[in-house]
Parts: sequence; C-alpha cells; structure tokens
Amino acid sequence: MSKEKKRMAFGYALVMPAFLVVMLVVAWPIVTAVQKSFTDPETGGFTFDNYLYFFTDPNQLKNIFFTMFVCFATVAIAIVVAYLLALYLRFVKSPVARLIGNLYLIPRFVPSLVAVYAMITIIRDSGLINRISLLFGADVKLGMMYHASGMITMNLWFNIPFAALMITAGLGAIPDSIIEGARDVGATKWKTFTSMILPLSYKDVVVASTFVFMSNVGSFTTPYLMGGNAPKMLGIALFDQFNKYLRYERAAALSVIMFLICSVSAAVYIYTNLKEKDWEH
Amino acid sequence: MKKLFALLLTLAMVLSLAACGGKKEEAPAQSGGESEVIKEVNLWATGSDNVREIFETLTEKFNASQDTYEVKLNFMLSGTGTQTMVDMIVAAQKAGQTNTDYDLVDFSGDDWSKIIALVGEEAFHKIDASEIPNAASVEAKCAVSPEYSQPYRGTTVILAYNADKVDNVPTTYEELKTWIKEHPGRFAYNTPGTGGAGDSFVRTSVYNFIDDEAAMTSADAKWAEQWDEGFALLEELHPYMYQSGGSIVYPNKNQGTLDLLAQGEIDMCPNWADMVLSQRAAGSIPDSIKITTIQPSFTGSVQSLSIPTIGSNPEGAKAFIDYMLSEEAQSLLVTQMAAIPLVDTANMDMTGYEDLQTLDVSNFRILSIGDLSTTFNERWDNEIATLG
Repeated sequence: MSKEKKRMAFGYALVMPAFLVVMLVVAWPIVTAVQKSFTDPETGGFTFDNYLYFFTDPNQLKNIFFTMFVCFATVAIAIVVAYLLALYLRFVKSPVARLIGNLYLIPRFVPSLVAVYAMITIIRDSGLINRISLLFGADVKLGMMYHASGMITMNLWFNIPFAALMITAGLGAIPDSIIEGARDVGATKWKTFTSMILPLSYKDVVVASTFVFMSNVGSFTTPYLMGGNAPKMLGIALFDQFNKYLRYERAAALSVIMFLICSVSAAVYIYTNLKEKDWEH
Repeated sequence: MKKLFALLLTLAMVLSLAACGGKKEEAPAQSGGESEVIKEVNLWATGSDNVREIFETLTEKFNASQDTYEVKLNFMLSGTGTQTMVDMIVAAQKAGQTNTDYDLVDFSGDDWSKIIALVGEEAFHKIDASEIPNAASVEAKCAVSPEYSQPYRGTTVILAYNADKVDNVPTTYEELKTWIKEHPGRFAYNTPGTGGAGDSFVRTSVYNFIDDEAAMTSADAKWAEQWDEGFALLEELHPYMYQSGGSIVYPNKNQGTLDLLAQGEIDMCPNWADMVLSQRAAGSIPDSIKITTIQPSFTGSVQSLSIPTIGSNPEGAKAFIDYMLSEEAQSLLVTQMAAIPLVDTANMDMTGYEDLQTLDVSNFRILSIGDLSTTFNERWDNEIATLG
C-alpha cells in the first residue's frame, strides 16, 4: 500500500466515528421522519393530508405567519443593532469601547431559562418596570408578556451578542490600510462606509442573519414561557402535535415544514459562501 | 496495514455502540433461602423533584429506624424517560417475568386506574389491613380495586384566592361563575395539557353538565358528544379571563397562574393545594393567598402504594407501607410537600398547614377520562385558545 493511500485511510478512520454518529442520530431520524410525514395514521398508506392540514387550517396558517413575523423582526432588529455595536467596537478606541467589548458576550453565558425568567420579572405587567412607575404615580403596564413584542425582546437578548460576535470578526478582518487609503484619496466617512466597509462585511451580515433566523424558527423555551395561546410559534405548535395530541404524523410533517423554512436560509448561507470563493479566485 | 487497523477500529466502535444498546438491566435474582428474610426492598416512584426529595427522606428514616429491611429508591423524574413506570411494569408482567425488583410501586390515582385496566388487579398482592397496623385508621380508598393498593396521601385541585381582594369567596361553581363575570380580568386558569389545575377546571366545567356519573371515569368516545354545553360555558367565560397586552391569555403550567396570583395580577385561580400551601410556607407567595373548595368540586385523588406479584419482597414492602402511615412519615409529608395526610392529625404539628385539615379526602371527585383527554385538549386549543 502506498504511503498516500495509507494516509488517506487514516484520515477516513479519523472521520468515521463522527460520520457514523451523524448518520445514526441525525440522518436516519430525518429519513424516518420524512417517511412518517407522508403516512396516513389510520391506514398506514401514502397521503399528503398531514401537510395539507398545516396549509389549510386557519389556526395553523396563522401560526406559520406569526412565526415568520417574529423571526424576521428578530433578524432585522438584531442585525442592525449588532452591526452598529460591531462598528463601534471596531473603530472606536477607548476604555469604554474595550469594556463593552469584554461585556457584550455575557448574555451568551447566562442559561436561557434563567434569562427568560429574568426578563419576565422585568417586563410583566406587575414587574420591575411597573413597580418603578408606581413610585412616580404612573401605572405603566407594558403588555409585553404573552405578546410578540416580549418574545422579540427576549430573542434580541440572545441574538444580538451572537450576531455582533460574527460581524465584529468580519470587521476585524478589514485592514486599517484600506480605510486609511480611502480617507487619503478624500473619501468622506460615509463614502468610506458605503463603498469599503459595507461591501467587505456584507457576507458576515448575511451569515449572521441566516444563523439568527434558523435558531428562532424552532425556538421553544421563550415562546413556551412568554408566548400567548394563539397564534403560537411553530416550536409550540410542534410540541402540541407531538406531546399533547399524540399526532406523530402531523408532528413529522410540521418538522419537515420547519426544516424547509430553515433550508431556504441555509441555501442563502451556502450561496454566499460559494460566491465568496469565486471572488477570491 | 493502517487501513486494516482503521477498519477494525470502526468495527469495534460500531460493536460497542450496539453493545450499549443491547445491554438491559437484568432483574436481580433474589436468592434468599425460604425462611431467610430478604433485606432489600426496591421502591419505584415517579413524579416531580419534590416527590424524589420526600421519598429520599422517608426511605432514609425508615432504614435508620430498623435493621430488618433496607428500602432502595428507584426514582424516575416525570417526563424524562421514554417509558413510563406503568409501561415498564406492564411490560415486565406481560413478558412473564417473576422475582423482579418491582417490590413496591407508588401510583397516582390516574396511573393506578390505567395499570388495573391493562393488567388487572390479580397482578398485585391483596393488601390485608391486619398486616399493616397503621392502615386501620385510614379511610381513604382508591377509586378502582381498593383492596389492592394502600393510599398514603391525598392531593387535590382547589380554588386559590387573594384574601385582600376577594370579599365574597365563592362556595359553588355558580357563584364562581358570577364572580368571574363581575370581575373581568381577575381570574385565570392555565392551558389544559400544561398542568393539572387547568385540566381540572375545564374538565369539571364540562362534566358538570353531564348527569351520568359513569362519564367521569370513562374513556369512551361517546361522551365527547355531550361536551358542547360545557365548551359553550368556557366560551362564555372567555372574555372575563386575565388579559395582557390587550388580549385574553391563558398562561402555561400551574406555576404560570400561581405566579400571576402571587404578583397581584389576578385575584383567583384553580391550583393544586400542595403547590399553594408549600410555596406559601416557603414564603415565595404572600400569606394573603388562601385556598377554598367549591361545590361541585374540582378533582382530586389519592396517591397509593401497591405490591406487584412479580416483586420479590412483599413482606418488606408491607413494612414500609406501615411506616408511610406512621405519624412521623405523615408529618414529613405535610411539612415537606403539603400533602393531605390520611391519618388522624390530632397529635401532629400542622402549623402553617391548617388548611389541609379542611380538605376531606373521602369526598374527592375523581375524573379519569384516559385517551379522551387528548381529544379534549385539542378541542380546547382549537375552540377556546383561538377566540383571541
């Protein structure tokens, strides 16, 4: 056996455990779930009914649109705020900026359940904000609990640090020389931003957006504790089908639907990555 | 050479994985001689973490109090296992296993009905009061096959209210209905399917309209046809429920409504007696929160211990049941989990838990509709939750 071949075999051996685990616990369940989603619970035969239900039942349609709304709102706000934060951290050199640079990741280290309960105690109609307002004679009821606005606020807590981390890394890769060059030939700050910084960090923004989007489509803890009864986020609708109604075929169909929604975003991610490769060559 | 090595490595890994999957707990063969007393008693229980804590305390105390038996607790946190305890015991029973370590099992009222329906009462030892001296004073009985299980604590859904805000405390369902309508936004019940208190409220609201007693403990689909009146009532009450952000909200989980009550956002909600009283004693909800029962009442049940015939130590099991009905154990059940004691409380310290004495276990209303509950919850989700 040639040296080259031995090396290759060794490489495969290293990859094999991870590959097998993925096949066993990810690929195989996906195949069976897709199969189940086309199965009639009564006859065991082939059917589209499980899918039709989610696209014809008015309540389920509302759930899908509601989830899209919450996800897009989260992505839009999180990315804008994260981008501004990343710009600040990249271009402002001050002790305050350094301090923020060290602190902004802290939310990532707070267990999600703790964070959700913390948020609830602050924004609920009898929470911290309400109590402070009572001291000043006002009775501020935010009405954010069991409402999309509360869930979006919570999502921002989780996603801004994450998005900022990715975008900061992207901005960090832009050499100072490019910016200095642009300034030297007389570009205004705004011009430098629109024609240099923005195009160079555009890929990171898209990647961060796709990740934020995907992590919110199937979210469970936040909508379970902070969401209303109807419409529901898809994560809760899935939980209902699976745990409450024991309709495994419909649960499988909804999983596939959520998977497809996420894969649109995954496609954007892959496309952006491939385009980057073309540009490099 | 290395390729071969790699192949072997992968093979070894696959095999070890397979081995993991195939290795099942073997029932320990209890091989004590005929006259010899078997020391180990395996106790099986399931529930929330407070159930684990109380059983750990009780087994420890029991083991320290005598030398003949040693109770070993096998606890499964509810909702974490793929198989429920009922499934496990039914499977062992149907597979014809004998001499297993299912010596003593703790069942909720619902699970007890379920297992009796699946394997029948002959799968359990008859519990003779003469063998358990402390059981003599216990009047509570299980709803089905009462001779084959020994109740040791009660649990029930009650109406919790804020005594600072509520003057005329409802005593009947009708009065409760009137109160709800006169105080819009001050009442809440949790989403059915996320906690027993909400389940109990909606189910009793619906089943109060069905005259036939048999409906309460039947999973027969024909009863679903008689739900309409009850659901119409729930729809009628809907606009008077708790509101947040301008819309009606049913919180998830029993704790969800209890938090609203504790925070003063509502004045009344159905909840579990033990949850309210233990949290009040711990100081996490204010003392102004009181409990009361209404007529017709919400539902309750008794928790009981049973001895499967496939177990190996019925004598040890009986000794532990006797201990569970001792004053010491019952006091611990009261102070640690606000359980409703089933023995005479005259000599027990009930400070902080006086309310428990007002709850009469023998009058508990049992509602066990089996698989119909799934249909019920789905209908509620589609008809009531979506009213907006």
